Amino acid sequence: MHNWELIVRKRLRILGVCSREITGELAAHLEDNYEALLHEGLPAEVAFHRTLRQIKGRRNRWLALRFLKEDLMSDFTRKVALPGLLTFTSSMVIAWALDMAHVQPRTIFLANGLFLSLPILWLCLLPFCGGAGALVSHRNGGSRLQRIAASLFPSAIMGAVLLLSLVSEFAISRFMQDSGRNWALVASALALWLTTYMVLSAISLLLGAAVAEKVRRISASAT
Amino acid sequence: MSSINAQIKRGSAELAVLTLLAEHPLHGYEIAKRIEEQTGGVLRFDMASLYPMLYRFERRSWVKAEWQTMANGRRRRCYRLTAEGRKQLAPLRAQWRAFFQALQSVTGFRNA
Repeated sequence: MHNWELIVRKRLRILGVCSREITGELAAHLEDNYEALLHEGLPAEVAFHRTLRQIKGRRNRWLALRFLKEDLMSDFTRKVALPGLLTFTSSMVIAWALDMAHVQPRTIFLANGLFLSLPILWLCLLPFCGGAGALVSHRNGGSRLQRIAASLFPSAIMGAVLLLSLVSEFAISRFMQDSGRNWALVASALALWLTTYMVLSAISLLLGAAVAEKVRRISASAT
Repeated sequence: MSSINAQIKRGSAELAVLTLLAEHPLHGYEIAKRIEEQTGGVLRFDMASLYPMLYRFERRSWVKAEWQTMANGRRRRCYRLTAEGRKQLAPLRAQWRAFFQALQSVTGFRNA
């Protein structure tokens, strides 16, 4: 007797996206498939491997991706977009407030005239925004993946804006003769901006979401 | 061309599943098996296409799923078409009928 539920759970353990209900249902499907193959007269070993093929390799990744997508898109507005907007707005308000208070980012000069602008205080305050977004998403019934997406919203927006600005600059420069753009330098500058405003901010936001998750679990177990 | 292909595949899969469920409640494996048998193996569902679609239907309240104990004592999640699902099925059938008739008149295929 094979424990199909255990097999499915092991193979689809990506971000904990598959609930017990889903794994139970997929296990039931495999079990029925296995028994149908036995009924056709296949030896048990062959039937087992043929059944297992449905959740192996590329098929397994595709199945996990489809579930991730379905999970993420389920009630997207309430569980991801609105909490994400809260995360983004609060992060922008903090940035604006710091700017009003004349708190400047720390500038680190690098080679070739490049510099890294590090808004350290803003990055230190971002976990509060990430935590708030994750909590609101949870309150609206968001899954783990949706809570992560809600807390990472500002990083995604900033990354998209930076990439869009690069693409538009590239497009504009094609209409201008002798624009003299050093694209290697532009790419390096973009990489530095992405590092600060996408990667570092994402780490900071995720940290907040992780702390919020921990606090929520502790308070849930206490009550 | 590939996007048309994907849309046709997705649309036909939705039509096939909803039509089967309109007859009587079925669980996932039964749905896949029946579609494969009734189409002579032309339409085949793997788990990655069937279950996300069933969950999408459930989210849209087109189907209602319930765990039921089968005659062999095993528990299976059975899907039943709801009134909302029936409402969706009628225009879907009409669209596909019109599509096949149009295709038939152009290509001269019979029983397309």
